Amino acid sequence: MSGAVDLSPRVPAVRRIGPALGSDPLLASLVVLVLAAALGLVLLQPAPYLVNMVGQLAAFAILAVSLDLVWGYLGILSLGHGLFFAIGGYVCAMHLLAHAYAVTGTAPDLMQFMGWKSLPAYWTGLTSAPYALVLALGLAAAVAFVFGLASFRSRVNGVYFSIISQALVYVAMLLMFRNDTGLGGNNGMTGFSVLFGWPMGSPGVVTGLAVAALLTLAGVLVGAKVLVASPIGRRMLACRDDEARLRTLGYSTTRLKLGIWCLSAVIAALAGLLYVPQVGIINPRVLSPDLSIEIAVWVAIGGMGRLGGAVIGAVAVNALKFWLSAAMPEAWPFILSGLVLAVVLGLPNGLLDLAALRLRPASLKPTSLKPTWLRRGGGLR
Amino acid sequence: MVEGVRRLGLVALLAWGASLMMPPALAADAPLERGPFAAALCGDGAAQTKAVEAFLHRAAEAEAAEIAWAGAALRALLDRRLACLGETALLLDRTGAAEGVEAATGTARPAAGGRSPVLGLRQRALVETASGAAALLTGPSVEARRAGLSILERRIGAVPEAFLLRAASAETDPGLRASLAAVAQSAALSSPDPARRLAAIRAVSEAPSGAAFSRLSALKTDAAYGSDPAFRSALDAALARVERAVSIGNGLAVLYNGLSFASILFMAAAGLAIIFGLMGVINLAQGEFIMIGAYATYGVQEVLRRLAPAWLDAYLLAAIPVAFLASAGVGIAIEALILRHLYRRPLMSLLATWAVSLFLINGVRVAVGSQNLQFAMPSYVSGGVPLYADFVVTWNRLFAIAFAVATLALTLVILKRTPLGLDIRAVTQNRDMAACLGIRTRRVDRLAFGFGSGLAGLAGVALCPIYSVNPGMGANFIVDSFMVVVLGGVGTVAGTLVAALGIGSANVLIEPLYGAVAAKVIVLAGIILFLQRRPEGLFAVRRRR
Amino acid sequence: MVEFTRRSLLGTAAALAAPALIRPAWAADTVKLGCLFSSSGTMANIEGRLNHVVRMAAEGLNAKGGVNGRRIEVVTSDPASDWPLYAQIGRQMLQQEKVAALFGCWTSVSRKSVLPVVEQNDGLLFYPLHFEGDENSKNIVYVNSPPASSVLPAVDYLMGAEGVGAKRFFMIGSDYVWPRTINKQLKAYWTSKGVPETAWREEYVPLGFSNFQTLVNQIRSFAAQPGGQPIVVLTVVGSSIPDFLREFANQGIRATDVPILGLDMVEADLEGLDTAPLVGHLNCWAYLQAAKAEANTRFLSEWAAYVKAKSVPFSADTVIDPMVSAYDSVQLWALAAAKAGSFDVPEVRKAFPGLSFADPSGYTLTMGAENNYVARGVFIGSVNEKQGFDILWQSPDAPKPVPFSPYG
Repeated sequence: MSGAVDLSPRVPAVRRIGPALGSDPLLASLVVLVLAAALGLVLLQPAPYLVNMVGQLAAFAILAVSLDLVWGYLGILSLGHGLFFAIGGYVCAMHLLAHAYAVTGTAPDLMQFMGWKSLPAYWTGLTSAPYALVLALGLAAAVAFVFGLASFRSRVNGVYFSIISQALVYVAMLLMFRNDTGLGGNNGMTGFSVLFGWPMGSPGVVTGLAVAALLTLAGVLVGAKVLVASPIGRRMLACRDDEARLRTLGYSTTRLKLGIWCLSAVIAALAGLLYVPQVGIINPRVLSPDLSIEIAVWVAIGGMGRLGGAVIGAVAVNALKFWLSAAMPEAWPFILSGLVLAVVLGLPNGLLDLAALRLRPASLKPTSLKPTWLRRGGGLR
Repeated sequence: MVEGVRRLGLVALLAWGASLMMPPALAADAPLERGPFAAALCGDGAAQTKAVEAFLHRAAEAEAAEIAWAGAALRALLDRRLACLGETALLLDRTGAAEGVEAATGTARPAAGGRSPVLGLRQRALVETASGAAALLTGPSVEARRAGLSILERRIGAVPEAFLLRAASAETDPGLRASLAAVAQSAALSSPDPARRLAAIRAVSEAPSGAAFSRLSALKTDAAYGSDPAFRSALDAALARVERAVSIGNGLAVLYNGLSFASILFMAAAGLAIIFGLMGVINLAQGEFIMIGAYATYGVQEVLRRLAPAWLDAYLLAAIPVAFLASAGVGIAIEALILRHLYRRPLMSLLATWAVSLFLINGVRVAVGSQNLQFAMPSYVSGGVPLYADFVVTWNRLFAIAFAVATLALTLVILKRTPLGLDIRAVTQNRDMAACLGIRTRRVDRLAFGFGSGLAGLAGVALCPIYSVNPGMGANFIVDSFMVVVLGGVGTVAGTLVAALGIGSANVLIEPLYGAVAAKVIVLAGIILFLQRRPEGLFAVRRRR
Repeated sequence: MVEFTRRSLLGTAAALAAPALIRPAWAADTVKLGCLFSSSGTMANIEGRLNHVVRMAAEGLNAKGGVNGRRIEVVTSDPASDWPLYAQIGRQMLQQEKVAALFGCWTSVSRKSVLPVVEQNDGLLFYPLHFEGDENSKNIVYVNSPPASSVLPAVDYLMGAEGVGAKRFFMIGSDYVWPRTINKQLKAYWTSKGVPETAWREEYVPLGFSNFQTLVNQIRSFAAQPGGQPIVVLTVVGSSIPDFLREFANQGIRATDVPILGLDMVEADLEGLDTAPLVGHLNCWAYLQAAKAEANTRFLSEWAAYVKAKSVPFSADTVIDPMVSAYDSVQLWALAAAKAGSFDVPEVRKAFPGLSFADPSGYTLTMGAENNYVARGVFIGSVNEKQGFDILWQSPDAPKPVPFSPYG
């Protein structure tokens, strides 16, 4: 699907951006749009709640891209991506609380109801933002690595992987709901009053966060595009379409899958990191299996296997949700389920199919839907 | 004897109340005065307590007619059929009736403006005991008298021994007389007569329970324990016996809890296992089929309530075919409309069933409402019976276990003994080969999907007496039942059964040690680890590939 | 393709900018109040009715000419039981709709989520639920009681001779902040009364937990031990309440043996249960439907009429404490705004001290200068056969609220 791009690994990554984006005008225009939106927010200064909403949508879009990378390009449907999103979110929340405590001196609620006199040892260093960033991404990568290594080595595939990852996020939810786990239980963490020393909720901080989320989204999109247009991206598609054959050809599919899986987890954690300061709360609900399925729904609705599709899906579904949950609350679940069914039955490539009906079909040839699981023998392996 | 043991189990549970409820020695031996007694029932807690304690204290000598009269007034107070106009108590036929009769005189009077007193907990216990005593002595039938005795047993310490003796001598039914004698015997733990005490210790230890253990242990501080070797050895032996029995009872309870949890898991997972094994479809709407089964059960109840109220108690049984067909019908419709198009894309069918579940939950919520449904619980699924020591068999759980066994049998018969089952097994093992042999695999898929959904509907029937029924009830089962299916190994009913039993009992065993939350976390984490090592689960179906 | 994308995104942006909340045409002589109660999701069944109560209260005030000469307009929404969405919609209501006050939240976590929003925008949130206390924001009015002024009196009653002389306590709660804080305070309270630590046990279950067999077994063996009258302090919430009660009754334990004090138990939790074997179990709120007061009779008939007139999808003859608290919230806000002669939050807030209102519970609600809490009475209810609660005990007056518990 990436056409005549020079895929030679010798070309440095930066120089591959141009060709990679050139091969995918949809994505290129999305990136431009995202950057324009960031500029618009800075220049036009819309109402803070609108700015905030745009920022949240950008965080969701990053999350959707992270899932699309493993689902659309590797064929691994994770129903537990909320876990990595939550890791980013929780570490960010811990940083914000520790920071606010250090700056303002008011003890967070958490300390009060846990009966702590000071923050426990594992919070050490979290007042430092760079450390928190490294910790969030590193933790997500580490969890992903352990879980991925165990699963991919024993060749847990397809729906099995989906179910097990769902159970994983469910276990994490139960664990975080426990008060004794020490991260706020059901109440989670709130009351983030300062960010880098500035008062949270001031228009400047709101805009700054939204712009940061938009810029990160643009960066993630470009980076992911370069990746999937590279030889590694080729191997990813090959692995999705016929893993056994790729393995026979001598490639280590376990290493490939593990690498991309960890990368995806890191991107999801990044999304969580950007999401939490914008909504001002994190609680184990982000670990509920339903939210993780919803991420897959965004990707499916937008169009899986196309990075732009993930963004469009996440933005469209969430914007609709923000709007309808106030305007037509009764109708929202029905509209969502109708949308999913329509997409699954009628538009295997999501909303992008709608565009394809009218525009150059060549550039939007459906990504392969080869039913490998069925063709390769009886059950679903 | 079994009778006695059972009921004594109940007593023992509550024997702590004994010491508190011991009536003080009252000087007043005057006959019961109806007016003041009725007025006291309308008084404050202290007045009620005083009057009822005095009544109990004198119940051994009072005339039967007086006791029957007081019993009726006490019963009315318990049932809130006592209206108080100032100090005058009126007996009503039913709560809130417009007219009643004066308790003391029997003259009819309008009850407007009357207040019906709410019993405090302490008074409630006392009034219950007193009305039980009245029923035991003056109940018209053996059943009524037996019910009275079973109330007395709960709070045996509050009943004067003389009263039990009087009741025993007045009793005409030999069985009830024997039970009464046994109760009286075990009530004599603190009797001054050493022989009767020993007999009481023996009697108490014959009905072992945690409370009996506490009662007996309390005797260790008795002076006789140090001075009387016979007493000491009898008490030690009794304590050892009770302790052993209690631990056996607790063991049984753990087994029973594990079994009942496992049977719920099995019912929720059985249909899923068949669907998943056959078609590879992750049916996230399975929980909603359970919900539909429960709502169908509710529908049957309402229909019976309108058309054949006499048969209302049988609605759980009548609902079995209805719930099965309702869920199976919805399942077949979903298969025909949606899933049929998605067999080549299992991950998309997963999302589609998620959308279906969202739709069903909200559809039911809009159509019926989000509140819990009201079920009339027939006697065969409410309450329980103490079986041994502290081990109580609750009927609703037993119902679920029986239901699970029946589901298992039905599933096995259909899979192993019918042409459809043969087709299902063939398609599960090798779809292409089965198709080549002329099996219409699509039709098999549809029927199997219907069957699997129907099984979930049956689970819905069994869950009605156990859990609250509302639109979101199905969501609680999804992760657990998938874990059962995957752990058991896809496509094997035996695997599903073993996995359900394993998960159920593991949960129950860990819960008392680390708490319910940790139990779930540990069990699920264990399964995830296990599946990482052995993705095909406990029992893998041999497939041709 | 660029065309398509841009158009779709522009469409999205338009959708975002569109007025997203239901509201009648804006008029200059109105003042807006916002509601943050979910009508879908897990909280829908109980939270949903509060939207209607706020509307009813506003209509009642409008019928009397409104407040400060302006009609009240109620803006409702659906945060869909999704905690971050409460903050999101709250922000929108304050910034876009410019509501004079917010009425909302049931769970502590939703309140915690809205709290920074009202603080940053200097808004006002009336919170109608009892909760764990230990919080005092100048932007939140805590209309219901903190544990120190509701739970402790109830437990005191049960420990006294008038109650059951409770000596031993089995605490069982859902695993989150409210139950844990309550239990922590109870333990400290008992310690201060000289109750030994061996006299209580504490167990927690996950939210939505339903399999109570093992726990009820444990309660039975706890009850069998010597040491005096045991009671169960129940702080499980939601669907766990009926499931627990059912198992408790089925294992043959009655209120006269081991009474349950269900701190979050309301009539709605008894729906679908046979309450005959549950008669005598207790709950504890600042209002019970059976409260004897003229204001209550009026409120009950007003609600019944409102349900009928507007075909509200909730029971016309079930009224629970948070409904009355939501009603009180609107009245308190109206009194404060009238007293201040303004809708500005700082002015309204200045008017709080000294407010008093005779609410349906029969007590006179008052607000003091030292905090944003409202003094309420305490009721102990006793389950009856008809799935309702009879009043067993009520406090002689409305105790002064103690936001920060002296215990724990």
